[in-house]
This record gives sequence, structure tokens and C-alpha cells, in this order.
Amino acid sequence: MSCTKEKTNYLEETSREIPEVFDFQEASSMLVDRYRISIEALNGTFYTGYNELRVRITDTQTGETINPDSIQFIPISKIADGVVTSCPHLFQLQKSTQNAYWEGYSIFIDEQLPNPTWKLYVNLVVGQQNYTATSDITTKEQLNKNLNKTLFRGNDSLDYMIALVSPRNPQVGTNPIIAGIFKRITTTHLAEFVPLSPSYYQYVAVNDHTLELDPRMPEPSMGNHSSPNNVNLSQRNDGFYEGVVNYTMTGNWTLNFILKDARNTIVKGNAVSTAFTPGVQGVKGELHIDILF
Amino acid sequence: MRLFISFLLILFVLSSSFAQTDTNHRDKVKTLEKVSIFKRKKKKLATDVKLTALVDELLGTSDNISFIKRGAYAWEPLLNNMTTERSVITVDGMHVFGACTDKMDPISSYMESNSISSIKINSGQHGNMQGATVAGSIDLQRISTPFGQDKAWSGSYQTGFEFNNNQTFNLGNISYSSAKFVADGSVGYRKAGNYTDGSGNEINHSQYSKFNTSLGLAYKTSELSSIKVDAIFDQANNVGFPALPMDLWLSRAIITAASYQQQFETGLLRVWDTKAYFNAIEHYMDDTNRPENLVHMDMPGWSTTYGLTSRVELKQGSYQGELQLNAYDNLSIAEMTMYPQDRSERTMFAYTWPWVTTRYAGVSSSNTWNLSPISEVNIGASVGTHYNYARYSEFNRIFYPEASESKTRFLPSLNARYQLSLDKFRILLGTGFGQRAPSVSEGYGYYIYNSFDLYDYIGNPDLPNETSYEVNAAINYESEKWSISSQVNAFHIRNYIVGKILSIGSPMNYQSVGVKAYSALEYARLFNIAISGRYDILQHLHWKGTLTYARATDNNSVNLPFIRPLHYQSSLQFMHKKMGIQAAINGDLSQNNFSPEYGETPTQAYAVFDLSGDYTFNLGKHHLTVQVGIENMFDSFYTTYADWGNIPRMGRNVFTTLKTHF
Repeated sequence: MSCTKEKTNYLEETSREIPEVFDFQEASSMLVDRYRISIEALNGTFYTGYNELRVRITDTQTGETINPDSIQFIPISKIADGVVTSCPHLFQLQKSTQNAYWEGYSIFIDEQLPNPTWKLYVNLVVGQQNYTATSDITTKEQLNKNLNKTLFRGNDSLDYMIALVSPRNPQVGTNPIIAGIFKRITTTHLAEFVPLSPSYYQYVAVNDHTLELDPRMPEPSMGNHSSPNNVNLSQRNDGFYEGVVNYTMTGNWTLNFILKDARNTIVKGNAVSTAFTPGVQGVKGELHIDILF
Repeated sequence: MRLFISFLLILFVLSSSFAQTDTNHRDKVKTLEKVSIFKRKKKKLATDVKLTALVDELLGTSDNISFIKRGAYAWEPLLNNMTTERSVITVDGMHVFGACTDKMDPISSYMESNSISSIKINSGQHGNMQGATVAGSIDLQRISTPFGQDKAWSGSYQTGFEFNNNQTFNLGNISYSSAKFVADGSVGYRKAGNYTDGSGNEINHSQYSKFNTSLGLAYKTSELSSIKVDAIFDQANNVGFPALPMDLWLSRAIITAASYQQQFETGLLRVWDTKAYFNAIEHYMDDTNRPENLVHMDMPGWSTTYGLTSRVELKQGSYQGELQLNAYDNLSIAEMTMYPQDRSERTMFAYTWPWVTTRYAGVSSSNTWNLSPISEVNIGASVGTHYNYARYSEFNRIFYPEASESKTRFLPSLNARYQLSLDKFRILLGTGFGQRAPSVSEGYGYYIYNSFDLYDYIGNPDLPNETSYEVNAAINYESEKWSISSQVNAFHIRNYIVGKILSIGSPMNYQSVGVKAYSALEYARLFNIAISGRYDILQHLHWKGTLTYARATDNNSVNLPFIRPLHYQSSLQFMHKKMGIQAAINGDLSQNNFSPEYGETPTQAYAVFDLSGDYTFNLGKHHLTVQVGIENMFDSFYTTYADWGNIPRMGRNVFTTLKTHF
């Protein structure tokens, strides 16, 4: 029997705000000697924020995929003549479990750059030989708000960054949440750029911190609504932080955070009001990321 | 299960042994008549003062029934002072489940008084024939015309107007009956505006309009067998619920059944009746007429049920029994979409019933043995399996991370009753034990806003079964001129399900003050007593009176909500020739045992007087009855213990009815 009003298509409803994601496709390629380096990203596009990357190396003479001994990777952006910066990334790429490709990531930050173009540096070690290649890339704005990020200055006067990695497509219910937390380190070598030097990491992973989580709906009519049973984010072996976020319904959510170091000192963030205030927009914490699904 | 089967077998053996010892075979034809559905006994469906009443008003004539009222329409019937989760409400034995999370649509709201012929109420475990229950069962039985009536065509028409809320109604019935074929149909339409309370204030959002039609076709396939198809269609539009923050835009029900009945002239098995059924309900709430609401919401709900019942009636000697199989599959879906104040922003969506499937299969039996001409014993038993599955169980896991994917429950029920008839006295003693599963809302409800206690309610899929232990007794004295009867029952209910404030979570609905989880109390105790009497003062002057009282507390001696204080009803009926006059008074004493813990405030005592007169005459070939009456004659301003949010009830109401039949 057909109904007067159609039932909501739940799958469509929960992916409405999420840009369509296709497979990994080549986003950039470079040639060095006989090797072709192919860097794959989702949709074949580099986005601001977190990008999972897959790197494949082909021997152009044989046409076969090869596995080098190691691969180093660094994205560099030029700030001014002779002044460059990088962004959080995985320097030593890792072999995927099936050896099909090499895995890495890059979290592009374009907000603070006058000229947000990037140069990717890749170095292959095959035998005892180093092969270094570069390519220029551009990034697109990430429209999926679930991969938002925030850059902030901590109470220790250091610059930090929190970038959401997952869930890319949240569901009403319980979602594991993964974020990368990095801090910017100052280097004295900015003027004399040496490719692939660890001095240019600039952002290093923050270790042994805790990211306390308080998700709330900012919409005034939701009166600062929150969800129960969330779990604060703590560091995993791969350096990223993982916790649990519960979303009670679709819509706009604000993830209010408090970043604490290993000694439980607050690096940034404050506890937000837990009062239910219908009609009044919930006050966001000083450290927060907005998401939408 | 095995235990139960062996129990049934024992019952069978017992019954056949009883039968064998009984040599006094009764007249076969007589026996057949008694069990036949072809000649169903007709009961007058009317209240004390009103010839044509709402289904709810008819239900209210039972001593066991009280109502939670959220407006002028779709009252929630409480059986033994227990809400609808605890009773089994069926239409001709078919399970139908409402589609509204806010209980705006009890099953009785999908019926019309001219589409039903009788209402069968069984208290407590005595109501287990249709499935697991705690409070009992209410079966709304559709009109059913017997085969081979003297008059092939018959029909009736009722119309009327009620002045308080400008209600008009038009109810028509027509039936055709031949030896082989029967058809009956009904059509009803009601429309009412806002009612006015006893202080002369109009109660906004109390209007309603309702259309109901039903059709039944039966064909006699042989002398002792017949097939039948039935359908009921009901649609309500623009129904206001003044006590709730939302109204109803549209609700629609289609209730269908196909059945086959076979009778047997001899042997233990007398009737075998099997029915397959389907019903679908859609329910759409509407808040667009409530500008005071901060948040605009869409809250549609759907409930679809497929079912099968098969029952046999058994009779041999002093034994009489019934065995019934019940199976159904229900899918309940309710959605909530909240609109942000800036409509360009993203809407917010959640399921309040996350596609909850309920499957039940059970067998019930009722067995009566006449021990002697003055005493009989009845033993009933039922056992069922109850399965729940939520397609989007992730909603429930937010609050209960360990919640099981699906849940299967085993629901047993037992009851026993002894009846002794001594001269003009009849004494009944009974006891029962039974379990019920949590309802869809109690198990899987998600942020269902309760505007009574102002909390959002969360279901728990792993709630334990509610287990009821019950004793009841009744005594009845009946003489030619007067009768008096008293019935009492007491329930001790373990794991009684109520809402308890949850320390985690924050409200979602803007009017809400917190979150409550459906939780099992250690136990609750309920006690009901009703005393009623009748006295024929003169040949044409009759008096009737009823007194009911109930008390209910939880394991901490905290009062439970919606328990009726001392209630009385008294009516005088005068009939002479073609004229009748009825006068009635009913009221509650003040509610002292109210429950602030569950959001109740005390309510004052009230009394309401009703008066009506009717006259029957012939106009040409037509037989007409006219009734004029007045409800709440003195325009009392009152609200009762079970008026949601203490909304005032209707003030003085003059009603008129014209009834004709051929």
C-alpha cells in the first residue's frame, strides 16, 4: 500500500551532506630515471585537510610495479622567496599489507599560506640508489565538514593543529572518531631549503596527550543538546588519536575539545556549558571543530 | 515449550476422560447453537444517557475502563488502571498497533460506533487468548449479520448534532442476508469544532473530523462452513490535541481479514475458525498550527501488521474449551525531522521508532469444566514467543552500547477461576500469572517526548519481561427487583516498566527538561474494586449505580500515575410506552494519591449531571427515535486525574440524535 508521505530514505538522508567519494585515483605523477611515481588520492584530488595517499612505483622499462626499499615523502609550500613550509604528513611511507602500494597521508593547510600551492617531493631508495622527484600540485577545498581541522595557539604558546580523519561519513549512533594532533616546531633552516631533511617537518605529532570530547548541537532550537557515552580521544600506535563520538541525529554538530598533555595540563580548550538552553545557540568552546552530516 | 505441550496434553486427556464419564449427551442442535457464530448475541451499544456515542464513550461504560484524554478525540483506554502497553487491544481478534509514538492513536480511535457490534473486555490473565497481557484484553468486534435473516435487506441511519463543539455525525448501516450470502456495510462521518469548557473558554485545537467505513462479505460454502472477508477503512483529518504540543494532520487505517469457519455437528471439535489478516496504519502529526512551538517538526509514523489466528472450540459433556493460535508480524516506524530556525540550514533527522519488527507466535487455551450444576472451574494457559528486531539498532546503542541486535522472549501465562452459583448468589475466585514483553516504545523508543512529565523517553531493548501475579474475586447477588455485584482484583507486577530519570544524555525536544529511560521497577502493586447495583424502583423506573476505587504504588510505596480516585456513577432510567428519560450523575472524589514523581498534580473532586429524553414514533413506514439530551448540565468546570496536562473537560453540551432503521 502506498502511503501519503514517503518514508525517509535513510541512506540518502545520512549522506546528503557528504560529497560523493569515489575510489582512489591518480592525483599526481612524476618521472625519475626509469621510475614512474603515481600518487593516488580519493577522487584523484588533493583536498585541504586530511588526505590518505597511496603511492605506486612503476618501472617504465618493464611496465611492472616495483617495490623500492623505502620511500620518503614531503609536501612543501613556498611562503616567500627562500622561505618554505610543510604540513603534517607521513615522511617514511609504509608498505600496505598486501604490498600493493605504499601508504601515507598529508594534511594540507592552506589557510595561512599567501600562495597555497604545493610541491610534493618523493624520494625512492632502490638498491643503494636515491631517486628524487617533484611535482607541483594544487589543492581543493574539502567540502566534507567531517574532515574539518583547526589551527590554534596553545597555552604553551606553541601552534597546534587538530585534523579530523574519520568518520568521513558519520551515522546517527556510535562512531569511532580519529583525529591527528600536531604541533608546529620552529626551524632555523628555513632559508636554506634542503629537500627531504627532517628539519622541514615543521609539524610533528603530539604524543601522549588526551583530547577530551563534548559534542553538542549548536542550532539554537536544539538548546545545546549533547549525546551520552562519548569517549575521549587517546593516542594509538600509529600516532593518531581515537575515541568515540555519538551523534543522536543528523545535522550540525560542534565537537568541543579540551587538549591535555601527559601531565594533565590543559594545552587548549575549556569546559562548555552543559545547560539545556532552548532557543539560545550553544556557546562553543575555545577549541572546537564543527561538523555536519 | 515442551513443558507447556505436555501440560496441554494433560488438559486434553483430562477433558476427554471427563467427557467419557459423562453419559448424559445433550441435544446436538442445541449445543451447536450455543457455539455458533452465525447467531451472535446482540448487545445494546449505548451509554446510560446517549443512544449514539463515540467508541470511547462506549468503552467507558465498563467498570474496568478509564481514559487518559489528550483532547476530545482518541482517548487512551486504561484497563484496570493500566496503560495500553499492558493490555491486548484487538479488532475481531486481530492485532492492530498504532503508529503514533505519542499515543494519539489507540486502536479504538480507528473504529466508529456503527462499525462495531460489541466490545469484549477480559480482565487480567483471563484476557490471554489473543496473546500475552498483564492488564487484560479489549476486543472490538465488527458488526456481523447472520445468514438467513427474515428480512433480506435491513439498514439504519443515525444523525445528530452536539451544540458544545458543533459536532455533526451521520452514521449509516446496510446489510443483506440470504441463506447463502451476507453482506454488511457501514459508513460514518463525524466533524467537530473546538469544545468549550465549563468556564466558557474555548479549548483551541480540540476539533476533529473522522470518516469510517467497513464492509463484510460472507458466503456459506456448505451447511456448516463459511468464508468471510472483512475490511475497515478509517481516516481522521485535522484532529487537534489541545493537551499536546502537536496535532494530527492525517491518520489512516486499513484493516482487512479473510476467514474460514467450519462447524462440526458431533465430536469434541465443534468450531474451527481461521483468519488471515493485514492492516496498515499511517499517522502524520502536525505542528504548523502551533506558532508557539520553537521548533517545527515532522513526525510521521507507520505500522504494518500481518497476522494469522486459528481457533477451535471444543465441547464434550461437561467440558467446554477453546484453543487458539495467534501469530503476527508488525513493523513500526516513526521518524522525526526537526527544522532549524534558519530554514536554509540542515534539517535534523532521527528515528523515534527505528524500524522495529515484532513477531509473536503463541497458543492459548481456555478450559471450563462444569463440576456440578452449581460450580465450574476454568483453567487457561498461554505460551508465546516474542521476537524483536530493530533495523537501526544503532539508535538504541547510543544509550545502551551493549544492546542486543534482536531479542527473543518466552511469554507464559496461566489462569484459574472457580465459579459457584448458589441460589441468587454467584461467587467467582480467580488467580493468574503472566508475562508481557516491553512495547515498541519501551524497548526501542528514541527521544519520545512526553508532554505530561516533560521528559524525553528512551527505550531499552533488554528490559526484562513484566511479570504479573494476580488474584481476583467477584460476588454477585441478583434478584428480580435488584442486583448488586462487587469485583476486586489485585496485581503484584514484577519489573513494572516506568520512566526513570537518566543521568546521561540531554533533552532533544525543546520543551523537555531531561531524559528518562524506560526502566523496570522491582515491582508495583495495583488494586481495583468496583461495586455496582441495579434496582427496579417501579416497573418503568430503574436505578443503576457504580462505585470504583483503585490504588497503585511502586516498591517504594510511591504512587503510580493515572490511578483513578474514588469514582461514582449513578443513573435513573424511566421508560414509558414510546418515551424514555435518563438522568445520570458521575464524578470523582479529589485525587489525594497523586504522583508528583511521575508529573502529576492533584485534581479536585467533580460531579457532572447528564439528562436526556427520547421518543420513538412512526413516520409512514419509518421507525424513528429522537433523543435530546444535555451533558454536564450545570456547566461544571473540571479536569480529571487522567486529563493530560490537566486540560479542562467539556462544559455544558446539548446533544440531539435522530435514529431510524428498516
